[in-house]
Amino acid sequence: MILVIAEQRDGRLNRASLETIAAAQSTGDTVRIAILGSGVDGVAGELGKADAAEVIVVDDPALKEYTADGWVLALEQLIAAEKPDRVFLAHTYQTRDFAPALAARLKRPLVTDCIAVTGGGYVRPMFQGKLQAEVAVGDAGAHLATFQIGAFRADQMKAGRAPIRRAAVAVDGSKIRQQPDAPFKEARQAVDLSQAERIVAVGRGIKGQEHIELAQKLAQAMGAELAASRPICDAGWLPMDRQIGSSGQTVAPKLYVALGISGAIQHLVGMKGSRTIVAVNKDGEAPIFEIADYGIVGDLFEVVPALIAALNG
Amino acid sequence: MAERETLEVDILIVGGGPAGMSAALRLAQLQKERGGEPLAIAVLEKAREAGAHMLSGAVLDPSALHDLVPDFTEKGAPLAIDVRRDDIYFLTRAAKLRLPITPPFFRNHGNYIISLNRFVKWLAGLVEAEGIDIFTGFPATEVLYEPSTGSGQAGAVVGVRTGDRGIDRHGRKKSTFEPGVDIRARVTIFADGVRGNLTKALVRRLGLDEGKSPAVYALGIKELWEVPAGRTEAGRVVHTMGYPLKMEEFGGGFMYALPDNLVAVGLVAGLDYRDPMFDPHVAFQHLKRHPVIASVLEGGTLVRYGAKALPEGGWYTIPKLYAPGALIAGDAAGFMNSARLKGIHLAMRTGMLAAETAFDAVRHGDLSDTALKAYDDRVNASAVRTELYPVRNVHQAFGYGTIFGAAFTGLSLVTGGGWLKDPMPAHGGWTRIRKLAEYYKDARPDPESTVNPVKIDRQLTFDRVTGVHYSGTRHPEDQPSHLIVHDASVCATRCREEYGNPCIRFCPANVYEMIDAGDGTRKLQINASNCVHCKTCDIMDPYQIIDWVPPEGGGGPQYEGM
Amino acid sequence: MKIAVCIKQVVTREWQLRVNDQHTWIRDQDASFELNEPDAYALEEGLRLKEKHGGEVVVCCAGPARATQVIREALARGADRAVHVESDALATADASAVADALAAAIRDEQVDLVLTGLQSDDQGFGQVGVVLAETLGIPHATIIMAIEKADATLRVKRELEGGWFQWVTLPMPALLTIQSGINQLRYATLKGIMAAKKKEIRKVAPPAPPSSGPRITRLYFPEKGKQTQLIAGTPAEAARELVKRLREEARAL
Repeated sequence: MILVIAEQRDGRLNRASLETIAAAQSTGDTVRIAILGSGVDGVAGELGKADAAEVIVVDDPALKEYTADGWVLALEQLIAAEKPDRVFLAHTYQTRDFAPALAARLKRPLVTDCIAVTGGGYVRPMFQGKLQAEVAVGDAGAHLATFQIGAFRADQMKAGRAPIRRAAVAVDGSKIRQQPDAPFKEARQAVDLSQAERIVAVGRGIKGQEHIELAQKLAQAMGAELAASRPICDAGWLPMDRQIGSSGQTVAPKLYVALGISGAIQHLVGMKGSRTIVAVNKDGEAPIFEIADYGIVGDLFEVVPALIAALNG
Repeated sequence: MAERETLEVDILIVGGGPAGMSAALRLAQLQKERGGEPLAIAVLEKAREAGAHMLSGAVLDPSALHDLVPDFTEKGAPLAIDVRRDDIYFLTRAAKLRLPITPPFFRNHGNYIISLNRFVKWLAGLVEAEGIDIFTGFPATEVLYEPSTGSGQAGAVVGVRTGDRGIDRHGRKKSTFEPGVDIRARVTIFADGVRGNLTKALVRRLGLDEGKSPAVYALGIKELWEVPAGRTEAGRVVHTMGYPLKMEEFGGGFMYALPDNLVAVGLVAGLDYRDPMFDPHVAFQHLKRHPVIASVLEGGTLVRYGAKALPEGGWYTIPKLYAPGALIAGDAAGFMNSARLKGIHLAMRTGMLAAETAFDAVRHGDLSDTALKAYDDRVNASAVRTELYPVRNVHQAFGYGTIFGAAFTGLSLVTGGGWLKDPMPAHGGWTRIRKLAEYYKDARPDPESTVNPVKIDRQLTFDRVTGVHYSGTRHPEDQPSHLIVHDASVCATRCREEYGNPCIRFCPANVYEMIDAGDGTRKLQINASNCVHCKTCDIMDPYQIIDWVPPEGGGGPQYEGM
Repeated sequence: MKIAVCIKQVVTREWQLRVNDQHTWIRDQDASFELNEPDAYALEEGLRLKEKHGGEVVVCCAGPARATQVIREALARGADRAVHVESDALATADASAVADALAAAIRDEQVDLVLTGLQSDDQGFGQVGVVLAETLGIPHATIIMAIEKADATLRVKRELEGGWFQWVTLPMPALLTIQSGINQLRYATLKGIMAAKKKEIRKVAPPAPPSSGPRITRLYFPEKGKQTQLIAGTPAEAARELVKRLREEARAL
């Protein structure tokens, strides 16, 4: 039985949890879904639309705000009661904060940032996505795994009807050592492109700073972050934290769209671990086509507007 | 703001290459042999780690190693393989002619094929085991002189200053700013390599090259390849002449077979060529496509790329080797045998001799000119002179063409290297480049074009930018450009017209580019962080307005295995 | 304040990666190594806290003998002393083994604060810090962008998804995992390098490794399984076709 730990904030379900349910369903194993919080019946109802054995609600006032201690205390009890073979979570910032502590408390192995489940274990990226590793859990007993955002698709999740039940879990609030304030939004100092699911990157082919807006529109239509190869950042057309490559960031998103990028090796090493690579370039001989999954040899100033239209249409 | 640190040592060695490391090791040995008050000794090296900026073919003559570290085998010297076979070819575009007899200069029996990077790392280990500090990531940017108001001899060299750190690309101090360190020493041994920035400044200021022939250089571009098993025999040394170089161009190719299916391949091109459109990097790609090389590399993998200048001028270009407080050793002084293509053993030997002189001077408390002149006497009495003097005119002879050069070199075995005029008249290499109008007359090529283009297939041939990637070069981005072009207005106008911007061709790392200025004209763009520290631009620019200064410490190539 | 900073030696980011013959790790004989980048920021943060509040910074490292390179670098930047849990196996060990080793180093030190980088540049599991906190029985917070100290508590700024942040208060002793870019790294000065040679590096034997744990069975370069599909046609046609394939075939949209 796989126990999926779903995530919510302020009564809103994190869509990544649907991906995790899809991952669990793909194994063919029985799936149970747990949701933690206080007053989360709405979210539980949403989760009840998944094809799963049941949705378990862990509702406790001590869980109103997320804290690492609170989550570990609650899940420790839940897992002891439910005895899953595997525990799946989405590799979110929140999961990264508590899952290793939970695994250590349970003395069970944890494999993080997985992109696939195999017979023998999991596949996960290493060396900033430049390599991939098959990891065997190495322990016959129960274990935990977290899944990279976007590794599975929320729309792959099979729908159904799962009964909802409340778990008999009580959390001793006095044992929680973290006191969180309310989260707030801030204009980010630097963009962490390594967390982006989709990226649209521009190279010299964009020809001028005034044309970057076109790429930005495509990025918006795709739900992607904007990035660039080195010359664009050197010219100051985009800030340095948008640079992909050996002197910038290394990324391995689900989708990487390279517009007007020739594919110099300094850029390739920063993105060739991407799952799907699309290249649009006027030059059919450009090295980028060697690593692209899909390529359009053409003028990006014609292709990109057409893409935006096709996406919105 | 942080204050400037100062450090006092007895002997400072600037440069952690074979000359500098040999000097340091010899000092440690002398200390042990002679006992007495321990001397404070330090080595400054601009690279992030010892050996990172070291690149050479290389075939090592072990004579100096035998003297410096007699038990080098027990100590694990990384001599990859002894030379088993020497071949010399004269190449034409499609064919090769093997020289049936190997001229004595090229006989490598008793020598070893090595990686200079590994060799220097090994030397560094020995130096550190002796307790001598090697400060990596600290380039020396300025020579310190005794002021006229000081207590010592006015104008004497009293040490060096290292580069400032934490300055942004606009020249402003960042919050992490650290001013350079003043390292004061009683004797400073300058071993900062070919066209070393400090030696260049020292020679200029003190007129140490007065009466000497102008220095001449070559550019060596090298790649390390992993080839399919059975392609070549480890220990085989191949040198080539002719194609792709023109008869008027000095240089040739090399291919050395190392163990584990590794092959070092490269081209040496004299930086005294006439054709302003000559592109050494393109020539190197042509060389790789020649069957003699391609048959070995085909299907292999490029492992590393790099480039470095070589001091070709020989005996008469070596400056005065000493000044109050200073000695010059190794490539920085030009100690290379251009007939044999060997300089590592000479760097080691002169490093050792400089160490002996410095040690005596400091121990006896006599730092006078006479005391330091002893270095010059030692060099003159040593195997260094015996080797270099007979070939003193060899490179200059090639200035009259390959045939004359080869003939002269051969004859020098008998003549002892003399000529009707001795030294043979010579010119600084950068003066020989011809103007486009003169060289090409009516068939003037577009400066952005390649006169003898080669197909870049990314299997055997690669572009410069790919090469830079394989050189492991990294520089912190937010710093001022370390290539100082004193008058960039010349680039788009006079230089473009006269020479077609040769910098975009002679730089093996794509540092220099002429880009669209936006108003129909071109302008120079300097991609400083690509720089592999080869010094070619400093040497070759026809107006002599480029000064290479060290970038922020630690930056540069990572020549693993080179 | 007594601060322990956990550091790891990793292969440099530029190192041309090649897989070893067993396909379980990279070839790192004669590689170039450096301090794991997030750990460098953790160290810098520790040094700044020491400068502000007084105390001591102890650097802890679990790894092979060659890891002394990064230990010396940390000492040269200003750490006071170091503890090295030396073992070759720790270079590629899983998170609990490494956390156990670091706990062995830190346990007797009575620290107020433990800082680690949020994850390593090589394996990137992002677990060691949090597991270490659990092992030591101290509270933790991750992906920290700012730290404020008040008497016996810390107020720290956590990074959340999508531009969201959160301040959290927790009692000391505590453990924080630090995000890269939180501060500007200082240089190791020449005097610092020389002084580092005299600073203490206490060697600690590694604890017995766990009998099992996650391990890499195959390390490989992600293969481009398919050939590049060049989509022809007018821009409008090609765009429509591309979107279709991305949706249905690649499932990337």
